[in-house]
Amino acid sequence: MIVDAGELPEGHALHADICIVGAGAAGIAMALDFIDTGLEVLLLESGGLAADPRTQALYEGEVADAALHSPPDRYRQRRFGGSTTIWGGRCMPFDAIDFEARDYVPHSGWPIGLADLLAYYPRANALCEAGDFAYTVGAAFPVPPRPMMQGFASPHFSTDTLERFSCPTDFGRRYGHKLRAARNVRVVLGANVTSIGLDAGGAAVESLRVRTLEGRTLAATARQFVLAAGGLEVARLLLASRDRQHAGIGNAHDVVGRYYMCHLAGTIGALRFTGPLHAVHHGYDRSDDGVYCRQRIALRAETQRGLRIGNFIARLHHPRITDPAHRNAVLSLLFLAKMFIPYEYARRLHGDDAVGTAAWLQHVRNVAAAPFDAVRFAAHMLRDRKLAERKFPSIIIASRANLYSLDFHAEQQPHAHSRVTLADTVDALGMPRLRVDWRYTAGDVDTVARALALLAQDIAASGIGRFDYDASSVEAEMTRYGAYGGHHIGTARMGTDPRSSVVDADCRVHGVRNLHVASAAVFPTSSQANPTLTIVALALRLAARLRVQGAAP
Amino acid sequence: MKRVLVLGSGEFIGDRVALALAREGIRAVVAGGRGAGGEGIERLSFALQDAASMGRALRGIDGVVNCLSASPGSIARGAAALYAGAALQDAPPRIVHLSSMSVYGAVHGNIVEDAPLRGELGAYAQAKIAAEGLAAGYRGAVILRPGVEFGPGGELWSGRVARWLAARRLGDLGAAGDGYCNLIFIDDLVEAILNALRRPGLEGGVFNVAMPDPPTWNAYLVAYARALGAVPVQRISQRRLAVETKMLAVPLKLLEIAARGARLPWQPPPAVPPSLLGLMRQEIRLVSGRAQAALDLRCHDLDWALAQTAAWWAKSQGPGPRGPEARP
Repeated sequence: MIVDAGELPEGHALHADICIVGAGAAGIAMALDFIDTGLEVLLLESGGLAADPRTQALYEGEVADAALHSPPDRYRQRRFGGSTTIWGGRCMPFDAIDFEARDYVPHSGWPIGLADLLAYYPRANALCEAGDFAYTVGAAFPVPPRPMMQGFASPHFSTDTLERFSCPTDFGRRYGHKLRAARNVRVVLGANVTSIGLDAGGAAVESLRVRTLEGRTLAATARQFVLAAGGLEVARLLLASRDRQHAGIGNAHDVVGRYYMCHLAGTIGALRFTGPLHAVHHGYDRSDDGVYCRQRIALRAETQRGLRIGNFIARLHHPRITDPAHRNAVLSLLFLAKMFIPYEYARRLHGDDAVGTAAWLQHVRNVAAAPFDAVRFAAHMLRDRKLAERKFPSIIIASRANLYSLDFHAEQQPHAHSRVTLADTVDALGMPRLRVDWRYTAGDVDTVARALALLAQDIAASGIGRFDYDASSVEAEMTRYGAYGGHHIGTARMGTDPRSSVVDADCRVHGVRNLHVASAAVFPTSSQANPTLTIVALALRLAARLRVQGAAP
Repeated sequence: MKRVLVLGSGEFIGDRVALALAREGIRAVVAGGRGAGGEGIERLSFALQDAASMGRALRGIDGVVNCLSASPGSIARGAAALYAGAALQDAPPRIVHLSSMSVYGAVHGNIVEDAPLRGELGAYAQAKIAAEGLAAGYRGAVILRPGVEFGPGGELWSGRVARWLAARRLGDLGAAGDGYCNLIFIDDLVEAILNALRRPGLEGGVFNVAMPDPPTWNAYLVAYARALGAVPVQRISQRRLAVETKMLAVPLKLLEIAARGARLPWQPPPAVPPSLLGLMRQEIRLVSGRAQAALDLRCHDLDWALAQTAAWWAKSQGPGPRGPEARP
C-alpha cells in the first residue's frame, strides 16, 4: 500500500518489522524482496510520486569548491524512485580486483569479495531491466558483434567486457504497482526522517523521527532499520543524529562522511584510425533479450597491479561538440538544442565553453550544410529514445573522418580528507545541511595519466591508428566538470575495524545492532563501474540476510 | 480401461489426448469427423449437446475426457448433456473434466484448489464455473484446472503468441507483464489427464495443473521469443499496448470473423485482446502440489519445452524468414 504521511494524525507511531528509509533503487529493491515474506515492511520516502521543489530543496547544501563538485541537490532526486528518476541506466558489475586490498591504493580492501555478490547480481540485473547477467562479448552474444577496433590487440587492455543499459528503469514507476498491491509493505510518502533515535545504551535504534513539510511529526519503530537514502544523505542522517553519540551515529572514530569518492571521468585527445571506416564500431549492439550493450576498453587487473594504479575503462567518443570545426551537422544540432537536454547530461555533453556569435553561426551553417543528417538523427532520437520505453542510451555519431576522442571513467582512490560534513545552516525541517568537500589525489591523476599513456602506446603498436593527447592536460580534463555527478560513494564505508569503517561486512553499523546501510555509501573503494547495479546487489544481499533472521532484533 | 470418449477433438488438447490414448492401446472415441485420426481412434457421430444422444454414445465407454473449450454457451450445454447422459449409464464412467484457472477470477497470490470460485472474468469463466458445478454433482468426475497450455500445435498460447512476437507486437512488456504465467506444457498436461483417468480413488478431486515456480509473462515472452529467433526482443511500451488493445483489437477481430465467414485463405494478424492485459498483470500462482502427489504431475524443463514449440512453429511456417530480424 502507498499512503501519504500528511494523511496520518499528528504524533502517529508507525511500526513494522523492517523500516527502510528511502525509496530509490536500494530501498525499492529491498521492499520488493520482502513481499509475501510475512514480515511487515515500512518504506519511508521523503518525496511524493512526482518531483516537488520544496522537497527537493531539502537536499540543498554547500560545496567547498563549486568548480570541483556540483551542488548537493543536483544529480539526486528526493522523490519516489529516488535518483533512478534521472538515471542514465549504465550497468556493469564490479571487477574482482575492486574488492582486493591493494597496497598501492590506500585504504583499499573490502571485507567481502566478488563471489559474495555473484548470487545477487543476476536478480539486480533483472530489477534494473538490463537483461541477462552477461558482461562479456562471448557470454552476451551467440553471434559476436563487430569488434570495437578491429586489429587492436593489447596485453594491457581488454575489449571483451561490456556495459549493458537499463531502460533506464525508474524504480518508482516500474515497481510502484507491486508495492501498492503488497499486503505486507507500507510505503509512506512525504515522510522525512530527520534523526535516528538510539536507546539509552546507544546500541540499538529505538525509533526514527519523521516530519512532514506541513509540520506534522511522526515516529517510526521497527525491529530492523535500513538507511537507503543515497551516499550523501546516509552520512547526513548519521551525522545529524547526535542524541546518544555526540559525534553522530557510527562516528566514534570520525569516519562517517570521510573517504567520499565519485569517479574520475572526462573526454580527451584525438584518436585517428588509419584503417577502413567499417573497422571501427562505435555504438551499441543489442543482445537477444533486447538490451543495448556497448564494448569498452578495460584496463586488465594484472596491468593495474603491475603499474600500481586504479581501475580504468575508456570508450570511443565523438569530438568536442562546442567547437564547430568538426563540421558535423548532428553535433552542431546538439549544440543548438542544448536547452532541451537535461542539466545532468548537458553539462558533460557541452561543457561550459564560451561560444561566440561566429562559432554559433558556424554551427547553424553546419546544420544547413547537411540537413538530412540532422533530420535522420532527429528521427532516430525521437523514435529510439524519446518515444521508446527502452531508450537508445546515448548520442552515437560515427565519424566519416575516422576521428574520435576518448571518454574515460576511472576509479577514485579513498582519501580521508575528501569528505562531507554538516554545515552550519539548516533546511526547512531544521535539519543541518550538508557541506561537500570533494578532493582527489595525485594517485588519481596517476591512474588516468598512466592508463592513457599505455593505451596510446598499444593503439600505435597495433597499427590501427594513433591516439594524440596533451599529457599535461590530463588533470585538467579529468576535473573539467569536477567530480562525476551522481556517484556518491564511500561515506559510510564497509570494514571489519570500527576505527576505519562505519558498517561491517553485513552492512550493519558498527555497535548498533539493528541499523543497516544499503547504499554506495558502504563501498570502501569505487571501482571503474557505475554504482547502481552493485548498490542493488548489495541491497538484495542485505534483504536476504534480514529475511533469514526473520528481522529478529 | 478400454474405450475413452474424448470431447473436444479437433482442438489442441483433445487431439493430443486422443493420440496419447491410442498410443497406450486405449481406444479413443471422438465425436464427428474433425481432429486427429488413425489407428486406435474411433469416430462416432452424435449430438454433443443432446443428453439422449450423449447417453447413447456413452454406452460401452469406460472413461471420458471433457476438453470442450469452445464458446461459453457450448461449454455449458455440452457439460449439461454429458453429465445427464452419464447419469443414465449402468456403470457411470470416470470423467476427467477440464476446467480453467479463470474460475479463480482476478485474484492474486498463491492459489490452492479450495479457493472460492469467482465469475468476474466474464462469460467464459462463468460457463466454466457452471460446468464445474455439474461435474461436482456427478460422483465419477475428476476436475482439472490447467493454467496456460502451450506446446506444439497449440494456437491460443503458442501459435498466436509466436505471431505477436515475430511481428514485435509483444515482447518485454515492463510492468504490464509482471503477472505470473502459469504454464503447463501439453505433454505434461496430457500425462496428468491420463493419470486422472486411470488412478483409483480420485473421484470428486479437484486439481490445479501448472508448472511449479512459474515465470512471469515477461520472462515467458522473452524466452519464447528467443527460442523462436524473434530477436532482439522488443520492449513494448504502455502506449503501444494501449493502441493494440483499445484501438486495434476490435477491428482486427472483426476482420478475422469476416475472413473466416468468407472462407478467405488470408487471415489478419491476431488481435491482442484487452483481457490478455489483465491476465498478464495478474500475480496469481496456481499451487499444483496436489496434482504432483495424486496425478504424478511432472513438468519438462521450460527451455526444452519452448524449443520444441518453436521448432513446431518454424516448421509450420515453412521455409523463409520468420520475422523482420529473424536469425536462423
